[in-house]
Formats: sequence, C-alpha cells, structure tokens
Amino acid sequence: MTSLAENSAITPVTTTTSTTRTSEAAPVLDPRDVEARLGLLLDTGSLTPLVERDDSGVWAVRGTIEGAPVVAFCTDALKMGGAMGNDGCRHIVVAIEAAMTDGIPVVGLWHSGGARLAEGVLALDAVGLVFAAMVRASGKIPQISVVLGPAAGGAAYGPALTDIVIMSENGRVFVTGPDVVRSVTGENVDMQSLGGSDTHGRRSGVVHVTTETDEDAIQQARDLTALLALQGGFADVADEAEIDLRALMPDNPKRAYPVAPIVGSLLDTGSLRELQARWAPNVLTGLGRLAGRTVGVVANNPLRLGGCLDSPSAEKASRFVRMCDAFGVPLVVLVDVPGYLPGVGQEWDGVVRRGAKLLHAFAEAVVPRVTLVTRKAYGGAYIAMNAKSLGATAVYAWPDAEVAVMGASAAVGILHRRKLAAAEPGEREALHAQLAAEHEKIAGGVARAIELGVVDELIEPTQTRRRIVGALAAAAPARGQHGNIPL
Amino acid sequence: MLTHHVVAELVANVGVISLAVGDTVAADDTVMLLESMKMEIPVLAEVAGVITAIPVTQGDAVYEGDVLVDIQPA
Repeated sequence: MTSLAENSAITPVTTTTSTTRTSEAAPVLDPRDVEARLGLLLDTGSLTPLVERDDSGVWAVRGTIEGAPVVAFCTDALKMGGAMGNDGCRHIVVAIEAAMTDGIPVVGLWHSGGARLAEGVLALDAVGLVFAAMVRASGKIPQISVVLGPAAGGAAYGPALTDIVIMSENGRVFVTGPDVVRSVTGENVDMQSLGGSDTHGRRSGVVHVTTETDEDAIQQARDLTALLALQGGFADVADEAEIDLRALMPDNPKRAYPVAPIVGSLLDTGSLRELQARWAPNVLTGLGRLAGRTVGVVANNPLRLGGCLDSPSAEKASRFVRMCDAFGVPLVVLVDVPGYLPGVGQEWDGVVRRGAKLLHAFAEAVVPRVTLVTRKAYGGAYIAMNAKSLGATAVYAWPDAEVAVMGASAAVGILHRRKLAAAEPGEREALHAQLAAEHEKIAGGVARAIELGVVDELIEPTQTRRRIVGALAAAAPARGQHGNIPL
Repeated sequence: MLTHHVVAELVANVGVISLAVGDTVAADDTVMLLESMKMEIPVLAEVAGVITAIPVTQGDAVYEGDVLVDIQPA
C-alpha cells in the first residue's frame, strides 16, 4: 500500500458535466464532488448528512433509493485524490454501523488512491477498521460499491469485501499501480489494462457490473439496491398469458444457445440484472423480479463452453447463491448442463475445490430454491445445480429433458465396450443404438428420475413461470445466517 | 490494428465451417461450430472485420487455446 500516493496523483478526470443540481441559484458542482455523486445516487431531496462535511476525504449521509432508506458514503476525489486517512475511515465505519443498526443497505462510492501516506501506520490501522466493519456487516445488510475512479491498495479491498461491485469506464482497481509493477516485475502495463473495467469485468471477476459512464454506474447501484432492499412479494400469475419458453431454444438438442433471453422471458420484463456477465459466462447469475418479487437466477449458458460447469463458473455461482441466501432472496436454477468440463487445466485449477463451493452453497441455503431441468442434467454437474438431494424446494423438468449420469450413448460405450468391440464393424452402430435404448429404459431418462423422486414433476414449458412462482410462493420464506465471504 | 485471434475455449472437434477467408463478419457472427461434450458450440467472431485465415478444417481436433479464426478488425 506504500505505492498509493503516486496513483492518486494520476487521477483521471471525469469529463461529463454534472446534471444533479440544475437550479439557477445553486453553484454547479464539480461532477467528482461528493455531494454531486451522492445526489445522483439518492432520491432527489432525500440526502441528509450522517457526519459533518470536513477535510477527512469521506462524507457519509442518509437518504433513500426508490423510497427505501439507505446509508451511503463517498470518498472525496477532490481532497488528496480521495486518499483514506484516520478520520475518513472512521466516517465509513460510522456509516456501516448506522446501516447495521437500522438493517438497511450501505452504498459506497469509491474514488481513492488508497491510504494517506502522510498518516503512515495510523491510516493503515484505520483502513483495517473499515475492512473489519465490512466483514461484521457481511451477510447482514446489503453492501454495494461503485468504483468511479482509481481504487488502489486499501481502497481496492474496500469494494472487494462488499456484495456487489459496479465500475464505470473511469474506474481502476488494483493493489499496486503500473509504476510499481514496472519497477518490480518489469511488466509494462497501463492503468486500464491493469485494473480497468474490461479487465475486472472479463478476466478477474472482481467487478459484477461494468458501465460506460459514471451516471450509469450509479443508476445500476440504485437498481440493485432496490432489488435487495425492496424485495416485494409474489403476485398472483394465474391469469397471465402463457409464454412458451421452449420456443426460445433451438430444435436440435445438441445446438448451443444463449440462456439470457430465456431468463429474461421467465422474469418480469426488463428486470434482469446480470452479475459478472462477462466473467465465467458459461453460467449466468443475476437478480431480477419474478411476479414482482426479487429472485436470484443461476442458469447454465450453453452458448459458452457448451454450458459446462468449470472452476471459475462454479465459484461465481457459489458466491451468488450465498449472497442470495444471506439476504433472503429465493433462487431459480435453470439447468442445461452436459457436465463438468474435463481437462488437465481444470483439475490443476482446482475444479474439485472450487466446485465443492457450489455444493456447499446450495446445500447450506435455506431460501426457497426451485430447479428446472430444461434439456439435460448429467453427472456431477446435475448434483451441483441444486439437485433434490442438496435440498431443492422443488425440481421440475420439461417433458423431453434428460437426467442421467451421462448420455445413454456415452454410457453404453463404456459399459459395453467389449461387446461393441467384438461386433462386426457394419453392425456396431446398430448395436450401440440398441444398447443405448435399453440403457435409457433401465437407468436414465426423466421417467426414472420421477420414479425416484429426484425430479418432482414434468411441467409444460408454457407453465414454467406459473409453476416456479407457485413453488417459491408456497415455500416458507427464510434467510441464511452467514456472512458473504467474497469466494 | 493487430489481427484478432479467435481461439478454442475447450478441447473439441471442428464441425461445420460456415464462413471463409475474405468474408466480412460482425461481432458475434457464427464462424464455425465446435463439437464437444455432446454439444455443437458456435465459435463467434469476437470483433467485426474481415476473416484473414481459418487454420483448421472440419474434423480437426483442436485444443484449448488453438487459433480457429484470424480476423482483421474493421
């Protein structure tokens, strides 16, 4: 963290002009001004100070977002590049504690070069107190971070400890800046490649939502805060027009497709907010509204890696599941998974350790959670995607779905390897098909899964929304009692 | 602009290749299909431009990281 002073000196200037205070009398604020930024975040006229505005480099306030009370703080980019000193850090701790007392979300707006060098160890100690407060609040109240400028060193771990991190094009998150990287490792890299929104949105998974503008980033924070703070209840959907979600999938069962349009149609129109959309894109995670109530969705995305689970996607999904559980957000799990991705790279990347997190997350979750197998669920990935055995509230499947250890054809290839090898070359394919059909009858197919009770019911694709709403609404609401460690 | 390499995300067999060298693509156009994990997975042009090379043919086995398509960004 000793590198942080240089970073704060090269703060990129936001070029957009403020639109927050348009009245004739009020002076036009610098768009980086804490009041301008917090004013954009909070409902108009709702901002009231929680602490005095001072030279600490942090301002903490109360206000509302879509009417829901929140606490918010903002590091002051115009004071020493937002560097965090003892007094500023204590304001952040006050903000988090006030939000905890009231059980309401806390939103942090970040633009900070890190700890104040001049304060030395005092500043480091104070930054540590901020981290400790965030961890005390973890899983108890939603913590949302918006990165609007550099957030270096200590300021990087502030957002990273929270539940959702949003970053605009102007955001930069890194532990050590380009100068230090260059002098230590010889790597030549600019701030954007090192810690810009593309890097963290696509490569590192540090950031959940990336936006082009600061205004957009703050709007996303408002939307996500509202989803967590104002969760609502399930409306009656019995009289709704039916939607055939199956029509959004290709006819060819082997063909890949993007899952986002299906999730978008299952949820209330326009309500899906994807999290970590570009990182580990073979699984989709997102918050949205289903019949008016906030839900979390985990869905395999066959367009990428065929929808296989792998090490990063398992980790992404497990953190999301734990966040939803901590805040009492019911889960909808859409399954179309050919299995775990095989390979040396995956095994060495700890797919066993990281995949175990997903099993842990689902098995631990107490929120209502409904699984729908749309096309197929094979092997270990079948279990990991909220199987009945892990405690799913209900497991549904569309009529032509497959649930098995592996596809029938592949299974008989292993089970009857010798028999197949002994067959005449001309007859081998026919024998393989015949064995596969027999195997399907005995071991596989969704019929056997229903017989065993691991799939509760086959549902028509047109009934999907109605049935999932019904199952979630009928389950007793619950909320996990655990923190949300950034897995 | 540097040539953009689209690489295989996973071990697979090359399926149908639907575009050819010289074709103009938009970002997210399907260039070919990969067959893996009992799935047909489209390979998408990650940038808009012109295809300058397709160093694989149908039936080839490819490994994670192998170049499938070169695109000269527009």
